[in-house]
Amino acid sequence: MDFELDEKTKERVDHFKEFCRAEIRPRASPLDEVPAPERILYLKKNLSGLGRQGYFHCLLEESLLHKCLLGEHLAWACGATFLAAAASGVAFGYPLKRFGTAGQKERYAGRLASGEGTGCLACTEAQAGSDLGGLGTKAQKKGTGFLISGQKDLVTNAPLADWFLVLAWTDEACGLASGLTFFVIDRSAPGLAVGEPVETMGLKGAVTAPVALNEVFVTEEAVLGGRIGQGYGQLGETLEEMKLALSALALGLGTACLEAATRQAKTRLAFGKPIGLFEGVGAKLAVMFTLLDLGRMLTCYAAFCRENGEENAPSLASSAKLFTGEAAREIAHLALQIHGGHGYLKGHPVERLYRDAKFCEVAYGTSEMLRAAIARDILKKYQTG
Amino acid sequence: MGAEYFTEEHQLLRASVRRFVEREIKPHVDRWEEEESFPRELYRKAGEAGYLGIGYPEEYGGAGADIFMGVVFTEELVRSGSLGLVASLGSHNIALPPLTRLGTDGLKRKYLPPVLSGEAIAALGITEPNAGSDVAAIGTRAVRQGDFYRVNGSKTFITSGCRADYLTAAVRTGGEGFQGISLLLIESATPGYQVTKKIKKMGWHASDTAEIAFTDCLVPVENLIGAEGAGFYGIMANFQAERLALAVIAHGAAQLALEISLEYARRREAFGRPLAGFQVIRHKLADMATVTEVAREFNYRVAARMAAGAETVREVSMAKNFACEACERVVSEAVQIHGGYGYCREYLVERLYRDSRILSIGGGTTEIMKEVISRLIIP
Repeated sequence: MDFELDEKTKERVDHFKEFCRAEIRPRASPLDEVPAPERILYLKKNLSGLGRQGYFHCLLEESLLHKCLLGEHLAWACGATFLAAAASGVAFGYPLKRFGTAGQKERYAGRLASGEGTGCLACTEAQAGSDLGGLGTKAQKKGTGFLISGQKDLVTNAPLADWFLVLAWTDEACGLASGLTFFVIDRSAPGLAVGEPVETMGLKGAVTAPVALNEVFVTEEAVLGGRIGQGYGQLGETLEEMKLALSALALGLGTACLEAATRQAKTRLAFGKPIGLFEGVGAKLAVMFTLLDLGRMLTCYAAFCRENGEENAPSLASSAKLFTGEAAREIAHLALQIHGGHGYLKGHPVERLYRDAKFCEVAYGTSEMLRAAIARDILKKYQTG
Repeated sequence: MGAEYFTEEHQLLRASVRRFVEREIKPHVDRWEEEESFPRELYRKAGEAGYLGIGYPEEYGGAGADIFMGVVFTEELVRSGSLGLVASLGSHNIALPPLTRLGTDGLKRKYLPPVLSGEAIAALGITEPNAGSDVAAIGTRAVRQGDFYRVNGSKTFITSGCRADYLTAAVRTGGEGFQGISLLLIESATPGYQVTKKIKKMGWHASDTAEIAFTDCLVPVENLIGAEGAGFYGIMANFQAERLALAVIAHGAAQLALEISLEYARRREAFGRPLAGFQVIRHKLADMATVTEVAREFNYRVAARMAAGAETVREVSMAKNFACEACERVVSEAVQIHGGYGYCREYLVERLYRDSRILSIGGGTTEIMKEVISRLIIP
């Protein structure tokens, strides 16, 4: 394992960080505060800027380590923009790139990489979150194509997406392992309707809405990878990528928290000295720093193992997301505590970061589901006695 | 629960407030949260029902001093699901105690009855941009000029401050340090008194929070609460009741989040069974119920000691820390149990998560509480 970057990559990361600082970060606060329609406008600006910077190209073509590195800087600047970019470039982009047919890649990958086109993953339903068995969306064979009907919920990017990657039953009798199929559907498809955006606690700039599919007709060409019944496995691989993306999100949010808390600790005076000189405050900073660095190492290690096809890669992706997600909540909590009442005010970055951080514990695998997955792997792998 | 602390009278009040919350608050509370305010009329209604007078002498329009009446009122109000509403409707309970304890008869006759009847709104003004936990750093100046104090300075984080008629304000009448601080009752109608900002917050949306500026406000000398230079003592004494109230809000909010989670865990199915069928979820609920109950019982105990006239600075500080941290843990787990839906506005646990976060900051941060406790336990 060697996480040392060559000079050229270092330069590129620095350049990207500077872009995020100058272009993305100033929009983090408006993206959190303005009404949904305006949020979409800001978000589109950010996404096309990221496209020009080659960020989506990186998500589609480069190593996981690079993705995590750049991603952390983006999340540091604006968690919501990071999530929207990941929903397009990873949740939609990864399965497209990994499993898509040559025709599908040709059709979508170019515009996706340039940031001109946006994708999303439409998987969750009201009765099917972690438990895919509860899915109700069905794709029925109709001539040479399919008719798809169902209700998707909590679809990040739905209000602005050009393309929807929809998970549906092609054969319920086959069960999860071979009964589910992904379809790539254009926004313009008759019968596809995006609902009103929902208000979320945090990461509000990553607009999220339900999607209704009412007898949407697609041809066989819409089947991801051209073969039906592959959806479950494809989703598993995609979620593993998303777990590492979410780790980068948690690390970026945590870094922003530590920076804000450090600034506050050095500049805020109480009882005649900067509060950072009180042991209690100093100890909080130390904990934040430690959690972040441990999380970063674990994420790099998990990315390395996944890249190299190591056997423990799935468990590591889960534990990286579990650790960094819970750490992000804890770090945001400490940062807010150091700010006192000021950290509770709208317009203060820490107020937003605190709400944003909770996302890391509930999305793309709740901490509870991650623990269950890790436990399953351990029980399978280790022999007793 | 806590049967030994509550008499039949308390139970009658509980039933009455519960009806009030169901009828007057719950049908509108989501909209009030959205609008970041609630009608002034609600103060009048609560006043008419006698709720605002709880804890105050009858001769000034109060309902008599009884700590557990206050506990009952707070617990039931929390069930509205909006902690901001609880804070604003109850802002007089941090503004008036110094007046009740230290004020002259004339001052009490003038200011208590209109607030307790809900005609007027009272708020407490201590915090300044550069004086939070460090109360002794207060910079708002009040300079004696004949029969008036000329007040200049600013206050921030003032609950109910946007529409308060009376402000119990900490001002500096003397030199540096805590000995120079006095309490002054300032009417918002005083020329030079200005609400400079309605502050937007992570939670407590139904509650208005203000930034207030004083520019040459002339306040009559008789509006001094207690002796000149004794304000710091008045502020510190006032903190005990406020901290207990925050602790009660915390255990109330935890109880509400627990009940909602229990209901959701029984109803929501995954992998062919209700969430409550999973051991991890069941144990989570068991932990939530445990810390909630411990917090509540300890709060009751501290309230009982306070009612008996005991010195409770240490216990109140402990109660606040324990209950607020228990509450944060419970609301966080409540969001976890709800999964992605717990992150959405339509679910009450989302609001409880945001609303709870200020409890371990307001009225003395967790860290300041630890300072207080440590000073008292280390000889």
